[in-house]
Amino acid sequence: MSPADPVTAELFRNAINALGDEMALTIYRAAYSGVIKNIMDYSTALCDAQGRLVAQGLSLPGHLCSIPVALQACLRHFGEDIAEGDVLALNDPYDGGMHLPDIFIFRPIFAEGAVLAYACTICHHTDVGGRVPGSNASDSTEIYAEGLRIPPLKLYERGRENTTLFRIIERNVRVPVRVFGDIRAQLAACEIAVRGMADLVARHGADGVRALMDETMDYSERLTRTCLAELPDGEATFTDWIDDDQIDEGKPIALVCTVRKRGSSMQIDWTGSAPQVKGAINNTWSYTAAASFTAAKCVLSVNMPNNDGVFRCIEVIAPPGTIANAVLPAACAARGLTGFRMMDCCFGALAKLYPDHVLAAGEGGNTGITIGGYDADRKPFIYVDFLSGCWGGRPWADGLEGNTNLFANMASFSIEVIEAENPLEVLDYEMVPDTGGAGRFRGGMALRRTWRMLADEGILQVRADRAVHRPYGLQGGAQGSASRNILDPGGPTERALHAKLTMTLRRGEVFRHQMAGGGGWGDPLERDPAAVAGDLREGLVSPEAARTEYGVVAEGDPPHIDTAATAALRERLRAARSRGARA
Amino acid sequence: MSLRVGIDIGGTFTDLVAILADGRVRTHKIASTPRDYGEGIIAGLRILIENAGDVTEVLHATTVASNAILQGNGARTGLITTRGFRDVLEIRDLRMPRLYHLHWDKPPALIERRMRLEVTERIRPDGSVAVPLDGAELESAIARLRAEGVASVAICLLHSYANPAHEQAVADAVRRALPEAAVSVSHEILPEIKEYPRSSTTAVNAYVKPVVRAYLTSLAARLRGLGIAAPLRMMQSNGGLAAASYAAEFPAHIVESGPAAGVVGAAALAAHIGEGEVITFDMGGTTAKAGLVERGEVLRSEALEVGAGVMAGSRLLTGAGYMLKLPAIDLAEVGAGGGSICRLDAAGAPKAGPESAGADPGPACYGAGGTEPTITDCSLALGYLDAAGLAGGSLKLDRDAAVRAIATRLAGPLGCAVEAAADGMLRLAAATMMRAIRAVSVERGRDARRFSLMAFGGNGPLFAAAIAAELGIARVIVPPMPGLFSAFGLLVADTEHHAARSLRTRVDAADAGAVQAALDALAASGEERLAEDGFPPERRARRRLAAARYVGQSTELSVALPEGDAASVLAQLPELFAAEHERTYGYRAPESEPVELVALSVVARGLPERPRLPERIPPEPAGAVPERQAWFPGQGWVATPVLGRAELGAAPRAGPLIVQEYDATCLVPPGASARLDGFGNILLHIPRAGVR
Repeated sequence: MSPADPVTAELFRNAINALGDEMALTIYRAAYSGVIKNIMDYSTALCDAQGRLVAQGLSLPGHLCSIPVALQACLRHFGEDIAEGDVLALNDPYDGGMHLPDIFIFRPIFAEGAVLAYACTICHHTDVGGRVPGSNASDSTEIYAEGLRIPPLKLYERGRENTTLFRIIERNVRVPVRVFGDIRAQLAACEIAVRGMADLVARHGADGVRALMDETMDYSERLTRTCLAELPDGEATFTDWIDDDQIDEGKPIALVCTVRKRGSSMQIDWTGSAPQVKGAINNTWSYTAAASFTAAKCVLSVNMPNNDGVFRCIEVIAPPGTIANAVLPAACAARGLTGFRMMDCCFGALAKLYPDHVLAAGEGGNTGITIGGYDADRKPFIYVDFLSGCWGGRPWADGLEGNTNLFANMASFSIEVIEAENPLEVLDYEMVPDTGGAGRFRGGMALRRTWRMLADEGILQVRADRAVHRPYGLQGGAQGSASRNILDPGGPTERALHAKLTMTLRRGEVFRHQMAGGGGWGDPLERDPAAVAGDLREGLVSPEAARTEYGVVAEGDPPHIDTAATAALRERLRAARSRGARA
Repeated sequence: MSLRVGIDIGGTFTDLVAILADGRVRTHKIASTPRDYGEGIIAGLRILIENAGDVTEVLHATTVASNAILQGNGARTGLITTRGFRDVLEIRDLRMPRLYHLHWDKPPALIERRMRLEVTERIRPDGSVAVPLDGAELESAIARLRAEGVASVAICLLHSYANPAHEQAVADAVRRALPEAAVSVSHEILPEIKEYPRSSTTAVNAYVKPVVRAYLTSLAARLRGLGIAAPLRMMQSNGGLAAASYAAEFPAHIVESGPAAGVVGAAALAAHIGEGEVITFDMGGTTAKAGLVERGEVLRSEALEVGAGVMAGSRLLTGAGYMLKLPAIDLAEVGAGGGSICRLDAAGAPKAGPESAGADPGPACYGAGGTEPTITDCSLALGYLDAAGLAGGSLKLDRDAAVRAIATRLAGPLGCAVEAAADGMLRLAAATMMRAIRAVSVERGRDARRFSLMAFGGNGPLFAAAIAAELGIARVIVPPMPGLFSAFGLLVADTEHHAARSLRTRVDAADAGAVQAALDALAASGEERLAEDGFPPERRARRRLAAARYVGQSTELSVALPEGDAASVLAQLPELFAAEHERTYGYRAPESEPVELVALSVVARGLPERPRLPERIPPEPAGAVPERQAWFPGQGWVATPVLGRAELGAAPRAGPLIVQEYDATCLVPPGASARLDGFGNILLHIPRAGVR
């Protein structure tokens, strides 16, 4: 093909992106792990022979640039020693991986005797051993407690199963049937890729495919540079805080993000962020980069294909030894929290540069909840849930509520299934009024869920945050409400619990988690009174909050806005505000 | 002479097809009347039929339910649910359909929050009552709904699939207190575990029920007014017909009726001509849809989204519309149709769709103000379409305007000739359409090359050959009246009732008695409904299906069950499931891995007294059309013969060739050949080497 044939190039892009999606769908349908199914915590991709990302399937933003990092680790280990029929695997965060539950599987695709591309998959597995079921504890302090570490190895060598590796995995994970089921799903996706690439080679020839893969990445780079060039240059720094790491309780952890934008390039620099912490919330560089790219991509254009072309335009800097780029022996199983918050932090810096493009902070990422123990028949149960749910106010609209966080396309578990499979009763799952930060465009309302323990006892583990450092507002919008953990809500023994906790829950005890609410965007006194009336009507904002936060006076049910009283109240609130500012 | 009539309402046209007792077919296409669709139907019927008394059956597909959802003008609806769970409809399953999309907004809940009322009650997953229904709270909830003036009430309580007693009590109280309101009860609509899909399905049903009921009542009255006493049957999204009275009660089942009818027609026709394996390809003005017929059975999915719009991307990302957890014909839809706009993006890459010029302003060649080139403009510029017009000449096309739009917007910036630009855009559109076809074939482990492609819809026959060539499909079937094929499909569909229920158990530990009881109950409910429809026992058939998975897996596969009692079915299920798993995913788990049964369903089918498909549909001879210049890649402008379908003989004719009909144009490119089969289909043969 001639490089000047844009139609052929577009057709190829379509085909290779569709192939990435077909791989993703294969895993989605065949997988065993609930994390794969509900959180879409897996990704698929095609890379070229140098390990550069060419196309990625639509699943988890949080994996955006993890695949090339992992694949390149394999290429460093194996060099030329890669043959047809090999399958490579790893999960070691300190040798290409992200955290131990994420197992990468790569299969080289050969054409005319040479490596043409790699089929790439990564899945979050149900368990990889270590001290707690699920291998996902936030209170481990070393990677050695977190499970089985797999360096870059061959899972298959020239088509022959590496039985040593399979046996080691089998002996080290709690649920080998599930883990092997998910590995088979990964292998099936690789097979789809092999067949699809063979079709493309039949059409374009091996060299043609190589040239078209190059063009696919170059196109992304052109598109990204075009988007970047249209934005004004500048530099801005934003600081946000994680409440603590559960080990050093109450010690806040700084995230510092500096965005520098010049011409058609951007730098996202995490220098100044806290040193790596004892708790298991440390990031690898690749995960920090995923958070950075996700934020940048949301603001630049949703249409940029995810590949190396984007990475060429945006440089991510994360000094080693920090929470943004931890080194051995840092624990990192629960680093999901940090990724979510880094995306928010990067949004904060971008908002300073491009205020009309960026939303205020959402709930701060998912809350991980695990309740495990034994039921009446001494059969073990383990309930793992991730809650997410609201966005900050946007420069053009309210923040969403009851919607997944941007960083992971999560689905919520069915209440009825939770109750059918676990000795738990769920008492509510609903939006909480007056929790979204006030603003011209308000933050989304927080979600809460409440459980009652029906077995004799079990261990409750919660990984939440934003209990102290609340979601930020922008442009005069208020912070969202704090997250809360409560034992026996509304009962005689009600008490507040720490955001991250491990405790015993006994029969009949009730635990409630309320997520943080989204931050507001813009001055709440400029909110359209009709929008406040809508919130009053729906019971999302109380009449008292309408008056005190929005300066809106309403009577009756359904509410009717008193226009004159509203204007007068807003005037008084503005005056009080400017007096406050002078004082 | 007695006749049966199929009526399919689309956004632009209402299509009517009648089959006479002697097998002759009459068709009519008339502009839809969106303010009152019944008007268009009656106007069309007046033209189509001579004697109303001859009509023995009226079969209907309508967009009235989906339009109510798309336009947000359904009934004022309230919900009564379990305390603590009023927001289930709003929280949905949290997931969003587009990643990285800060502008995403959820479709608003069909029932607003203040009308979602809670009552204290609790049923456990095993069906036992944990907390009795609080009568006083129920009274006050009903009083509130009365004060709000709701026309429809949805009732969805937790675990009602396990024990419907509380839902029944609520429904009784609502019916007593609000006799005018339509009532939709979740355990009657979907007796399955998972509160969100059940609530969403019930809410959709409730929201459209008064609208659909009014529509059907008025239509029935008008038909009677015309002198038609024949029964009215509606197409359901699952491809089966149901009595209008059933559709009025459970309108959630008829949301995607039109597209389903086309696939059903394709399946019936395929069986008639001995083609077991067919991919259907239905391309209209804004979208293209693909479906699958395998071993004569239509591929179905267990859920669909209504009002989702069209996504060019993956079917992996859901949440754009309202979820209906009901069996539906599995259609993959992409945003590529005649009206799809062709553009260059910020980096200069060409894109075809998914934005559409719609009917207004339409393509540039409509001369109605459209300035951006569309797929139809490209087809016209290359000579594939006749400038003398669409729909038998009722709409003239301005070829110069099409060429101008392509030249300024595409060819100029790309630095190529108009022909190359137009051809490139058609190839891109074809690539998008291929994604729909891959979604129902390759993504499910089916090799598309094993199938024939049946192409219909106004634009399907124009693109079919190119798409088949790309996919390695050797045979394309263009049925008679491709532009009205959904209306035709209505006439060959069967009455069908689908019923399902949750039943979760490991197969090796299953209680055969419980499985037998569930299968019997499902079969009995199907029998009962068929009896209501007037089918005697000898004209009833049934299919039994199981949803199963390996223990620990989170997605089920549907497996057809053999005849026999539960014990023998259970004995065979693990192997049947493993075979299906292997077919779909390419592998099976070791035999030591147990299989889990998740749900059972029964499809009860009413069989017609005589075959509903005519033996053949001979084409009407058309007037002579002059040959015209058409452009093909690698050949340039070629004088291309233009024929009517009747002029195409039984002997293959080599392309290039254009078969031009009243309702569609079939393109036979160079390299391909076409002939007419005994039924009246155009058969295209695409050689392995592809078309040029």
